[in-house]
Amino acid sequence: MPVATYDLWAFVSENWRELLDALVNTIKVSALAIAGAFAIGLTLGAARAHRIPVVSQITAVYVEIIRNTPILVQIFMLFFALPQAGIRLDGFTTAWLSVMLWGGAFNSENFRAGFEAVPKRYREAGLALGFSPLATFFNVTLPIGGRISLPSSINTYISVVKKTSLMYVIGYPELTTTAINIANLTLETLEALTVLGIVYLTLVWSLSASIRVLESRLALPEERS
Amino acid sequence: MPDWAGPVARYILEEGLPVTLRISAVAVVGSAVIGIVLGTLLTIEFVLSRAIIRLYVEVFRGLPILVTVFMVYFGLPAINNALEFDAITATSIALILWGSAQVAEATRGAVQSIPREQHEAAAALGFGWVGRHRSVILPQAFRRLLPPFVSLLVNIIQNSTLAAVIGGIELLQAAKSQTERLTFFPPAGIGEIHAFEILAFVALIFFLISFPLTRLAAYLEKRMVV
Repeated sequence: MPVATYDLWAFVSENWRELLDALVNTIKVSALAIAGAFAIGLTLGAARAHRIPVVSQITAVYVEIIRNTPILVQIFMLFFALPQAGIRLDGFTTAWLSVMLWGGAFNSENFRAGFEAVPKRYREAGLALGFSPLATFFNVTLPIGGRISLPSSINTYISVVKKTSLMYVIGYPELTTTAINIANLTLETLEALTVLGIVYLTLVWSLSASIRVLESRLALPEERS
Repeated sequence: MPDWAGPVARYILEEGLPVTLRISAVAVVGSAVIGIVLGTLLTIEFVLSRAIIRLYVEVFRGLPILVTVFMVYFGLPAINNALEFDAITATSIALILWGSAQVAEATRGAVQSIPREQHEAAAALGFGWVGRHRSVILPQAFRRLLPPFVSLLVNIIQNSTLAAVIGGIELLQAAKSQTERLTFFPPAGIGEIHAFEILAFVALIFFLISFPLTRLAAYLEKRMVV
């Protein structure tokens, strides 16, 4: 067995190009998934909060299925079971689609809770002022409820970023796959794990710091001090 | 029911399910014990212990659990050969590291939500720090911890599938190996692909376990608010 010496700098300087590409892939998948999860969460969350028939029930089923089955099973379904029905998704599509569907389910619960926390009389006031239901949603419910759901939805986005590491199981070259593959070739396991730890913690910690900044920036006027 | 379904289902239920349940049980008990101790210690106004526990909590909550699994499974043996664990144990350890960080954070919040007077009254009755927390504060904090505990259990059960990534035979890995076996030619397999049916079966098992628990968590949370 070769005697390994720990040299983080050598590991990074020899593999930085691959690692950077991998980081770009992680960010690309995360960004697409977060954008999609935001759109899904907003629409389905609004539909559920306003108890729109059919859409609400379908959303409830979607949310419960995603929440109560492991995301790895969902990824396997998309990547290994769909081809059986003749639908072949490449690694990149599977990657963003699976975490987007996962994040969208959790996010629709976040938005629903936010919208439901808006006092009913605000909505009634909007309608009484002659706003259409849609205009009331965009001018009253969304600005207030959206802010209420902001911290929990950012937490969901943070989880989305972390879940992209699971694409290791389908071999999509994001950060985790790439780092582990390099480590398997060079036996620089500890260096690869250090890089993974540093990069993920930087991403996650800066995203959670953004919750605090956004919360104070977007606080409702009466909550500002 | 086609002929192949019986043996596949039996293998998944007999070889996979008990392991999933074992990982989950070990992980949830370990997370609870370590997390409650760390979370309670986190409320002590001593900068050094607080900084260390805070770092532990932030690191293991921040890392993707899969990366923690790799750290335990590949990283620890690279540091010292004695720290080599099988896939199931490594997954359990990683889940405890993550779960205890979650529990610690929840416990800190729960303990701090108990009014000061409770501490003072217990101290006036002659309880020391340990007795005060064990007999007065934690029993009250525990009620507030119940809903997050149930959610944690659901998360741990689902994340126990990470063992499949490093080859530990639990529900998902059992399903994967059966799917592969069926694609082989007879006598081992039948030369057919049944990934969808087998994965759907596994998803159903997880759903049947998780759904009542998420309902329970929602119910407990609602009851806490009142």
